[in-house]
Amino acid sequence: MLDSLAFLALPPNSGQLIGAVIGALVFGAVVIIALQRVPANLRRPIVVAFTFIPGLFWVLKWLVPEPINRGPNDIPNGPVDAMGFWFQDNVTVVNDIANTTAAFLLGLGIFSLLRVHLGRAVKGKKGAFYSSVLLVCLVSMATLGFINWNQRTFNDPDNRLADEANWGPVQYGFDLLFGGLFQQMEAVMFSMIAFYILSAAYRAFRIRSVEATVLMGSALILMLSLMGAVDFAISGVINEASDGDPGSFLNNFKLTVIADWVKAYLQVPSLRALDFGVGLGALAMGLRLWLGLEKGGVS
Amino acid sequence: MDYAFLKVTAGAIATFALYSILFKENSFYRFFEHVFLGLAAGYSMVAIWQDTLYENWWLKMFGQPATATATEVAGYWPYALLVPIGLMGYFVFSKKNNWMSRIPIGILLGLWSGQQITNWWRTFGPQILGSMKPIIPNDFSRFTVPAQSVRDASGALTPLPPDQLEIIQNTVYPSVAISNVVFLVTLLSAMSYFIFSYEVKGKFMTGLNTVGRWMLMMGFGAIFGNTVMARFALVIDRMAYVFIEWGQQNLLRVLGGG
Amino acid sequence: MSIAERMMNVDRRILYMILAVVVSGALFIPVNIPATPDDSSAGVYVGLSEIPQDKVLLIQSDWTLSTRGENLGHFEALLRVVMGQNRKFVLYSLADPQAPQVARDALRVLNAERKDRGLEPYILGQDYLDLGFFPNAENTAQAMGSNLRNLWANRKTKSPNGEIDIWQSPVLQGVSKIEDIGALVVVTASNTIDIAIQRLSDKVTIICMCTGVTGPTVLPYFSTGQLKGLAIGLKGVYDMELLMTYGMNDPASGENKITNPKYGVAPKLENSNTYGRGRQYYGALHGALALIILAIVLGNVAMLTAKKAEAA
Repeated sequence: MLDSLAFLALPPNSGQLIGAVIGALVFGAVVIIALQRVPANLRRPIVVAFTFIPGLFWVLKWLVPEPINRGPNDIPNGPVDAMGFWFQDNVTVVNDIANTTAAFLLGLGIFSLLRVHLGRAVKGKKGAFYSSVLLVCLVSMATLGFINWNQRTFNDPDNRLADEANWGPVQYGFDLLFGGLFQQMEAVMFSMIAFYILSAAYRAFRIRSVEATVLMGSALILMLSLMGAVDFAISGVINEASDGDPGSFLNNFKLTVIADWVKAYLQVPSLRALDFGVGLGALAMGLRLWLGLEKGGVS
Repeated sequence: MDYAFLKVTAGAIATFALYSILFKENSFYRFFEHVFLGLAAGYSMVAIWQDTLYENWWLKMFGQPATATATEVAGYWPYALLVPIGLMGYFVFSKKNNWMSRIPIGILLGLWSGQQITNWWRTFGPQILGSMKPIIPNDFSRFTVPAQSVRDASGALTPLPPDQLEIIQNTVYPSVAISNVVFLVTLLSAMSYFIFSYEVKGKFMTGLNTVGRWMLMMGFGAIFGNTVMARFALVIDRMAYVFIEWGQQNLLRVLGGG
Repeated sequence: MSIAERMMNVDRRILYMILAVVVSGALFIPVNIPATPDDSSAGVYVGLSEIPQDKVLLIQSDWTLSTRGENLGHFEALLRVVMGQNRKFVLYSLADPQAPQVARDALRVLNAERKDRGLEPYILGQDYLDLGFFPNAENTAQAMGSNLRNLWANRKTKSPNGEIDIWQSPVLQGVSKIEDIGALVVVTASNTIDIAIQRLSDKVTIICMCTGVTGPTVLPYFSTGQLKGLAIGLKGVYDMELLMTYGMNDPASGENKITNPKYGVAPKLENSNTYGRGRQYYGALHGALALIILAIVLGNVAMLTAKKAEAA
């Protein structure tokens, strides 16, 4: 992989590689220190540059012709082809940059949670008990999770731990916390909205205007069409009246036929119109962000 | 007491605890809410490492030595430079230098922005094309679409042969043309509702705008109906978990000495 | 206080209790409710059945137990079809760090189900691959479309022959780019289906199984053919179970045959359980939907009655 970056590759576990990694980290630390001393008027151009250059990669990739039916051992045929090869190969690097950066940013949420609850638990503020519960659960899950990962990755070459019969205390502990508690609680949290929807529908879904009536009519047709038994009963009456003739005009009054028509000719175009609006907005926003035209952000 | 029972019982107790908020605010709920948050954060730490950083960053940076079944993979030291870039995100907590947190976010936004033009066309090109529907009938011999299936000897419906189906499905009968007009009116009126660049004046435009609003309500009705199904499905699943998975399949088994 | 006013001021907890009782009661009486599978759900089953046997599937599992009531049913139905047809697949997630573990747990249960039927369980590295979670969905999908071989280069998997490069496994034989994939099936509770369509719809057949909340915004993609099939919500799960049981336009199903002139013949599924959560939950969904329709009607009747009384 990464043929175009082969000059940067070093053998695994070698002193050279470890030295180069440490060197890169030291360089990164120097850059961070230097950035802290950047004058205020240069901050915005720096952020804009860090936004523009990654976006430029994708824009240029589409402007350069893509290699056709490229095989694993093919070599480029001329400079344009070489550019196509370079862009195609480095899609992986760009993807690694995106995934790794996103992963570091996901850690930000955990860091923030720890900051708040650790402070509250240590200082014995109001809610210290609940914060301690949160921290104990966090540490337990993380500890069991990392040990479980370590055992599965490095000490289980035959994938024996895929079978519950071979589990040890770590696997049971992790599964209890993840599958027994965490996942079930997440399911409960999301399901609670149903109760509120029922209550809100009873109290607030009123036919006070044309708009509300249209909305209710559309929703009722859709909800009835989801009930197979209702459709079956209506279809039964219609089949009886039409002697089961598939060409009968009466078939147009079956619930599924009406619901399909409403879906195809009223609901889909209205949702498509919404999508067009949102899509144009996203395109405009994308261009503004990429070209640094969006105001605000860096103060 | 076996492990399966312990696991499902833990889940059932947590379910009761969290549902108790529907009755009123209480400390049983508050306790389990914090258990939930703690477990979520703890698992995220594990998952970010095991599924992302280890594969996409660590192994790329340090490479992999040869094994009996796999060849050596070289390491790429510049991946170490992603550490300072990622850490810049944590300057969001710094009063003086929080602007630096915009750098990793800017990289992600830049990558997203650069993809938008082609993505827009790939998403909406077929949709624009699919909205160009014929509105003039080419067969006036009947008003509605003829039956596309017949009853076989057993009484079950069977589709017509493919060549006949192709003709029927590609013919514009008057009912199809009317439906297509409805489609276009719905699409155009709903889109007209989003025209903000000039003042909507005159009978035609205000009328179109009003129809657009009604048509959008049709779409929102579909969203409402589907959302109701979705949320009810989640409650049904929870009730199945408590009464069937825990109660019927585990609690009764344990109480019965099974 | 008049009856109408009393109705309008009923305690919310009574409504909650009625909902819990209605859905719980219906769960204990699972019955085969007759239903007509939607065109979009039929597209999922027929689409999967039409893929050549030697082609591998990509399964993008973007759901967690927060939407277990819908997506677990989708995922189980999908894997029953895929495993019942002896297809190989690659599993990965773009939406949530928890998603891979949830999919692994569901796969473990289905493997046990296969063992119970006397069938060989699916084996990691031989019948399927598990690539984990990629947090940046947009760039990962973009890279998959540009250079799949490089994107997954040097990834290892466990297998019956020890740890091997995933490209050496039988699963990816004959694959070098996204166009070599039979279909990308996205099981999702979020907008990752939009991301897949934006970046991959001109390169690979896409099939989607999504929640009711996501469904309406995805429906326009099905009508333009950008999606080959779309199973929405719990109804989509039940549709899949019916299609697995009776097939599509399959003469072998006799008078129970499901007929849809828009599709060809897709045989019913042999050697696998077909009914599951869809059948178990569908009756309860009827109860719950009937309840909300009743609630809306009663709420409006109460409002109109109160208004009349006020006017009088």
